[in-house]
Amino acid sequence: MSADELRVPRTPRPPLQQSGAGRFPLDRLLLLLPIAVLYGLLMLVPLSFIMKTSLARGFGHYREVLETPVLWRVVENTVVISTLTTVISLILAYVYAAALWRSHSVFRIFLFGLIMLPFWTGVLVKNFAWAALLQDNGVIIGLLRAIGIEAQISLLHNRFAVILGMVHYVLPYAVFPIYSAMVAIDWRLVRAAQSLGASSRRAIVAVVVPLSLPGVLAAALLTFIISTGFFITPVLLGGPRDMMVANLVDFYANDIVDFSNAAALAMLVVAAISILVIAYQRLPKEGQYGAL
Amino acid sequence: MSSINRNGLPISLNLGASTRRRFILRSAAAAAALPVLRSGLIDVASAAGEAVTFACYGGSYNDNITKAFLEGFEKKTGIKVALGADASLALAKLQAEVNPAQWDIVELTGPEYEVAVKQDLLLPLDTGLVDASKVPAEYKGSHGIKYALFLFVMAWDQRVIPDETAPKSWADFWDTAKYPGKRSLSANIGDGSALEAALLADGVAIDKLYPLDVDRAFKSLERLGKANIIWHNTNQEPIQQLTSGEVALATSFNGRVIPATRSGAKIGFTPEYGGVSGDYLGVVKTSGNAKNAFKLIDHVISDDQADAEYIKLTTYTSVNTEALKLVPPELADTLPTSPKLAGKVFIKDDAWWAANLEKTLLQFKQWQLA
Repeated sequence: MSADELRVPRTPRPPLQQSGAGRFPLDRLLLLLPIAVLYGLLMLVPLSFIMKTSLARGFGHYREVLETPVLWRVVENTVVISTLTTVISLILAYVYAAALWRSHSVFRIFLFGLIMLPFWTGVLVKNFAWAALLQDNGVIIGLLRAIGIEAQISLLHNRFAVILGMVHYVLPYAVFPIYSAMVAIDWRLVRAAQSLGASSRRAIVAVVVPLSLPGVLAAALLTFIISTGFFITPVLLGGPRDMMVANLVDFYANDIVDFSNAAALAMLVVAAISILVIAYQRLPKEGQYGAL
Repeated sequence: MSSINRNGLPISLNLGASTRRRFILRSAAAAAALPVLRSGLIDVASAAGEAVTFACYGGSYNDNITKAFLEGFEKKTGIKVALGADASLALAKLQAEVNPAQWDIVELTGPEYEVAVKQDLLLPLDTGLVDASKVPAEYKGSHGIKYALFLFVMAWDQRVIPDETAPKSWADFWDTAKYPGKRSLSANIGDGSALEAALLADGVAIDKLYPLDVDRAFKSLERLGKANIIWHNTNQEPIQQLTSGEVALATSFNGRVIPATRSGAKIGFTPEYGGVSGDYLGVVKTSGNAKNAFKLIDHVISDDQADAEYIKLTTYTSVNTEALKLVPPELADTLPTSPKLAGKVFIKDDAWWAANLEKTLLQFKQWQLA
């Protein structure tokens, strides 16, 4: 028996309430006004300035940015590092979310507190802490030396340190969508599967994994988008070979001092991420009560 | 009890139509009053705020600038100066697009100044307010004055490398067999002189550095080993890295090392084969405080006592020739412009860098990513 056959039949939903004064949703528009003003002023207006700066010579700046050989190395770095960060943090987040879901009272509060700590700590503090731990005469290598291991490897200013710092930052963002998807799962479904003869492991795999998948997809998208935009971690923890696309925008803006090229690159990144988000919206996602 | 109205709410909470109207009228009145309040506040601020904003480089250098120049300037003229960090050409360009500019004076390296003049980001020097009579002609620009000269040097952690065995040339600095471990080099190739150092380590004669053979410099850096280099982006970082023990060898400026040693850090350096460069002070084109900004520049280059104090604190050279006479001779010998160092240091070529900065930076980034 699969989870499909256990699905609860859909109950018909009541019709939407109409507002009293005709069918024009004026009150709904008015409710959206504050967030539209906030979003418009703080996000859309600056974005339009950047777009204006990038179009200073028509599409010349876009062409210039796309023709720079440095760009493709940086894009490759960004995609590789972001994908690795997403995969690693998803695996860790899934285990953590499951533990959070099945734990009780005190232990659950403890786990919550633990995952919120990196959330509440500033990114600069976190990165400097990792730098102090990972540097050549720092805490970790010092500890290894104390127990007799003469570690010749370099833990800082390379991709390992960057991914470590990024996973540390992104983990809370990955845990919460997965956790909220798991919390919505009815544990009786697992019991039902067990009562139909499945071993507990088979029951969990058959019930929990498919139903938590929308949460995993949401977490994957969120962590990937956050990872592509990282700037400070590659600077503090990475070497020059770990330059990501945000660092390239900074390079154009501050070192070359060509604001239009920087703006063009920024707009290209926005366009690429938008394509990703649109693709995500098109993915079919099934929850416990049917398609989401 | 009749303290409950007909809706069941306590009467005190009952916002009837009249109280709602009153609330709306009051908030409209408050909103109308806001512009008046705002302009009143700004008038108060600008009357007291003849403050000059000066973007510099941060760290111990800012402390020394405050001690040498700003405290005396405020006592002399009553004008306050707000000192900031992260000065760069990008900052100057951003300020030139904002009116009035947030930073009145931006410190620029030689090549950055040339580019800033070309891009029309600075005000022409107000010769009425700025007395540049004591400054040699080569340091006077049309839109700014080179106010100090720095020495780019190799520095080492004395706890790991005692002075007797310290590197005596860039070739020594490059020698990974003699000095294992990583080196911290300045990634800012226009301000620091990592490429020049690489060429000197490769055997180029000190008077034949320019025009720079950039490819040869990259090959020399590869001989040192990309894995052996940590690139730092700010001038205080190498001092932090040397004192924390992260690296034993770094490039730095003499005026960063000496204040650190005075505070107890065990860092040694040598002026031999160092690079002499200078920074300009320029007033941004859209500055709202240009008069006071020029007064500050005048103080920085013509006040003999302040300049002598600056030399003693930072061991950089002030271009004020009169101030050099007030400095004890032992200190004068270690200055970047000391005759004792002539022939042993190279002068960073501002003109070559101004013409080639963008191209070289792109090549440098490409080399770093490869």
